[in-house]
Amino acid sequence: MTGTTSVVDFLQAGIKAESLRQKAIANNVANLKTPGYRRIAVKFEQLLAEAMNSRGEADLDQVELELYHPNETAVKSNGNDVSLEVEVGQMVKNSLRHKTYIRLLNKVYRQIELAIDSK
Amino acid sequence: MRVDSSFGPIDVAVSGLQAQSKNLDIISSNVANARTIDGGSGEPYRRLEALFKTDSEGVGGVELDEIVADMSDFKKVLDPGSPAADEQGYVSMPNVSLPTEMINLNAATRAYQANVAVLKRYQAMIEATLELLR
Repeated sequence: MTGTTSVVDFLQAGIKAESLRQKAIANNVANLKTPGYRRIAVKFEQLLAEAMNSRGEADLDQVELELYHPNETAVKSNGNDVSLEVEVGQMVKNSLRHKTYIRLLNKVYRQIELAIDSK
Repeated sequence: MRVDSSFGPIDVAVSGLQAQSKNLDIISSNVANARTIDGGSGEPYRRLEALFKTDSEGVGGVELDEIVADMSDFKKVLDPGSPAADEQGYVSMPNVSLPTEMINLNAATRAYQANVAVLKRYQAMIEATLELLR
């Protein structure tokens, strides 16, 4: 596992995951009043954890993002289980994750730049 | 490996938001039915109240435990002309008191806002941490 590239790969996978997650949230909010709609979520962290071996390495190509219905929240009388509060919470978490990944990515690129500049 | 245990305060604040929004549902039902003579079971509308409980031992979110009916007596209003009046001319009215509901409404709204404030503050805290990565 070579240092820099793999960090970028991990971050790339993370950013991909939460951009899909943002889409899932948008979908849920759009279907706030749709009868029978069950909210969708993205499975990523769990799959990544499963794919990681004891040395902390993972084949990121094997980690496929997965959309699923959590079916965890209470179902309303019209068969819909979207709660605006839950979606807002997810969105806040997602944007914090996004910020973290972007900052880390920025840091990695700055390190590379530094290495190039210091001849 | 445990995954997604981070961002705890956000989940807790969201549970508070959900609980208070359900509380608001119940209060609005009470207000809307403040003069409903037919509550469905042959008697006037009975005032409802939300009971909350923590959803785990120790630190955790809140959830709606159950919705209980207020068993206090119905109000009797003298209205002999009403088709719902009894032999003495009294009509049973719901045991909803609007001033109480208004105070509960205030409390629920404030509680909702407080949870929003917690969420916002936590978000600001994480963003402050992220500033260290700049």
